[in-house]
Amino acid sequence: MTISPAFRRPMLALLGISLVALPMLAGSLTAAPAAAPAPKAAIAARQAGYKKMGAAMKALNDQLKSGTPVKATMVAAAQMIAATAREQPRLFPAGSGPTAGVPTDALPNIWTDRAIFDGQMAKLIAESGKLVSTANSGTADAIRAQAKATGATCAACHRQFRADS
Amino acid sequence: MSTDAPSRRLLVWDIYIRLFHWLLVALLGFSWWSGERHEMEWHRLSGYAILFLLIFRLYWGFVGSGTARFGHFVRSPRAAFAYLGHLRTRPYRATAGHNPVGGWSVLLMLVSLVAMVTAGLFAVDVDGLESGPLANYVSFDQGRVAADLHGLLFNLLLALVALHIVAILYYLLRLRHNLIGPMIHGRGTMPVEETNDLPSGSAWKALAGLLIAAACVWAIGFR
Repeated sequence: MTISPAFRRPMLALLGISLVALPMLAGSLTAAPAAAPAPKAAIAARQAGYKKMGAAMKALNDQLKSGTPVKATMVAAAQMIAATAREQPRLFPAGSGPTAGVPTDALPNIWTDRAIFDGQMAKLIAESGKLVSTANSGTADAIRAQAKATGATCAACHRQFRADS
Repeated sequence: MSTDAPSRRLLVWDIYIRLFHWLLVALLGFSWWSGERHEMEWHRLSGYAILFLLIFRLYWGFVGSGTARFGHFVRSPRAAFAYLGHLRTRPYRATAGHNPVGGWSVLLMLVSLVAMVTAGLFAVDVDGLESGPLANYVSFDQGRVAADLHGLLFNLLLALVALHIVAILYYLLRLRHNLIGPMIHGRGTMPVEETNDLPSGSAWKALAGLLIAAACVWAIGFR
């Protein structure tokens, strides 16, 4: 377990965005295929992404637990999860595992079992996409079920590919 | 110190204190296991059961039988230091219920338990999937701090439990005084002069406490 003071999150996110955005900008200027971000920047960006998804998942679950769920809040949370999920797969470049020199819970088998890892990512993207449409049109029970299905893809991947800290 | 001071066998720990103690031991073990295994539905229920025990214990500390009361066992630091000197006299003569040092240890364990359970009520897991029943009153980041505190307090509690067990073994092996038996069957030998004015707990007051504890847990965990 690590203590993460609240103020570190926006800083990390800012750092992550700027570090990721710069190479992307350079890539688009030279019309080359978007290069994978440098390992440390990738770790910061993906950790910020996971925190955003965790906070959005909590916001969604808080609504579902309350007697009067607010649809707009649930849709916004689902969209945040789905949009962030699509950003995550490319934030695991080679060399961004435990050897990167910054703290990360990413296990080395992400890179040795890459096809399985990518499959889990694809499942997350599919389920979180469904979560958006369910949040838009479904009943509270349907949203609850889909939030659970989405959470199950998180948990399944974490069991395989994340250090239990 | 004279060895033939009058003493008698009597009820040291009432049935509520003994049940509290051993249920707490079992539930702490189960909470640890379920937490490590990420069996969060079980972990929450186990936490509610511990909350129930704690609320009853705090209540019983004011209206319970003699040795259960805070007024009986929470003594001044001066009394605690004096007791440490008393430990050197042979043969060791038991005090009624918690001794002045043990009382502080019990109080510290109770405070840590209350803090740990309270932190758990507000805790959120790193994925935002599992949370305590009151986590909707705090932000994700605050819930994460609560979860970290929950874990830190558990480590503190493990240290206090280790100290508790070492102390009991010291009494058993060095002072030839068995503290474990009385916590099981309730009876122990006490100096007569210490047991003169110990109030006994009433079953009605106990029942009232159980209902209060159940109502609190219901309001927090099963809204």
